[in-house]
Amino acid sequence: MLDSVGFIGAGMMASALMDGLLAKKTISDPSSITCSDVWQPSLDRAAEKGYNTSLTNDKVCQNSKTAIILAVKPNIIETVCSDIMSAAGAGDDQQEQQHGGGALIISIAAGVTLSTLQSYLPGRRVIRVMPNTPCLVGEAASGYALGSLATDSDRAIVQAIFGSVGLAMEVEEKLLDAVTGVSGSGPAYVFQFIEALSDGGVRVGLPRAVATKLAAQTVKGAAEMVLRTGKHPGELKDGVTSPGGTTIAGVEALERGSFRATTISAVKAATKRSLQLGGTVSSEDIDRKYNL
Amino acid sequence: MASALMDGMIAKKALSSPSAISCSDIWKPSLDLAAEKGYNACTSNDKVCANAKTAVILAVKPHIIETVCKDVAAHGDALVISIAAGVTLGTLEANLPGRRVVRVMPNTPCLIGEAASGFALGKLANESDREIVQTIFGSVGLAMEVNEKLLDAVTGVSGSGPAYVFLFIEALSDGGVRAGLPRNVSTQLAAQTVKGAAEMVLQTGTHPGVLKDGVTSPGGTTIAGVEALEKGSFRSTVISAVMATTRRSLQLGGVSAEDIQHKYNL
Repeated sequence: MLDSVGFIGAGMMASALMDGLLAKKTISDPSSITCSDVWQPSLDRAAEKGYNTSLTNDKVCQNSKTAIILAVKPNIIETVCSDIMSAAGAGDDQQEQQHGGGALIISIAAGVTLSTLQSYLPGRRVIRVMPNTPCLVGEAASGYALGSLATDSDRAIVQAIFGSVGLAMEVEEKLLDAVTGVSGSGPAYVFQFIEALSDGGVRVGLPRAVATKLAAQTVKGAAEMVLRTGKHPGELKDGVTSPGGTTIAGVEALERGSFRATTISAVKAATKRSLQLGGTVSSEDIDRKYNL
Repeated sequence: MASALMDGMIAKKALSSPSAISCSDIWKPSLDLAAEKGYNACTSNDKVCANAKTAVILAVKPHIIETVCKDVAAHGDALVISIAAGVTLGTLEANLPGRRVVRVMPNTPCLIGEAASGFALGKLANESDREIVQTIFGSVGLAMEVNEKLLDAVTGVSGSGPAYVFLFIEALSDGGVRAGLPRNVSTQLAAQTVKGAAEMVLQTGTHPGVLKDGVTSPGGTTIAGVEALEKGSFRSTVISAVMATTRRSLQLGGVSAEDIQHKYNL
């Protein structure tokens, strides 16, 4: 159970997180959540649901004891952090805040490193999260990395928040680009897959609406089997491929088309691009150290 | 499958009590398992037919359908629902003269209540039979009605589809490991990503291409991944898998090579 949580930025992701916290009863009351944004319609939408809203970041800092989530674009992170440093915190004095006290700061801004965050927020405990779009339907896959001052109880706070909108896994910061390659960018690969599965269905005679629904539900159900049974996907594949049957014919076609190799190449390409955009890894290191 | 359907109906309260379900099997351990959950475990098919007023589901292997139909034909007039792959409505109706029948192609995730099923109504089946099938198969996932001639196509997409997804998840996980992630983290993130993205398509009803546009920012990481998929003819390969599976389903169903080629264009 968390005490009070703040969001700087009340856009789609923040909104999904706020709603998730309530839906999973991680926060009992919407008034324990405060959010800020420059865009009034976002604030109005939040206010309608009972969250506290503000056009300035001070109020968020004052009200939030447990954590403050930075849900703004990377290019305004610095400004926001400066507001946090100059704001009076929730129940702590400024001195204490700059020595590991105060609310945990959680950033979901892509590519903004812990080192950068720490430099803007000296003495504060920070965590960096890479969530993904299905956060919007409460089925996110997120990776997160702890800053050097973050504690075990901070780990529990992040798990509680991001666990209320899906799955959250801790990784070393240097692996967040790889997380981007798999789960950050992964939804797009899945959309392509579902579109193609539906096209396949239409190619063999199904009406489009039927094909797309069956395709999407098939993908959801099979993924759920992997998650719930904990079995190796290869083992699950063995379990549904009867001798000389229909399914193994489909598997053969995928293998012939290097389906899996292509998927791996997509993860590599997205990871490589993430490293490039991050700007902290040289192209030589991307090549030699990361082997991408 | 039968077990999953029974449990699904109770979980979704399609039936008020487990005692409203009767099942038969020659394998005692299956019966014991069913009895433990409060279902009526019968040693004969006759008993099942006597107890089942609404519907009787045939959940046996295709080669024993004919035998089972003899027992069913002799008792009652409940809707008969077959999930036996490749056994046509024509065959079922021939073995169950005068009975209302429905043929369903479910899929493996039925076992966890997330099936994708296609079904086709027999000649005598009516509106209320359609609802019965929707209720039963809707309690374990999604069920969609199709023309019987499209059940091979349904096999190609949702019947065999789970295997394609298992391969996809394994490859996504391999990609993550290739990029440095520990295996267990990679597989969990991969599977959850696939689940979540599919859920987005289902919940928003938005075209997958539009959803893809929504997550590909200019010059970003995601479009780089999409480019790699396109370079590898990813979508074309998936289409070819659906075609190969559908073709095989038609072959197993006894459709002539000429018809498969000219009528079905496969």
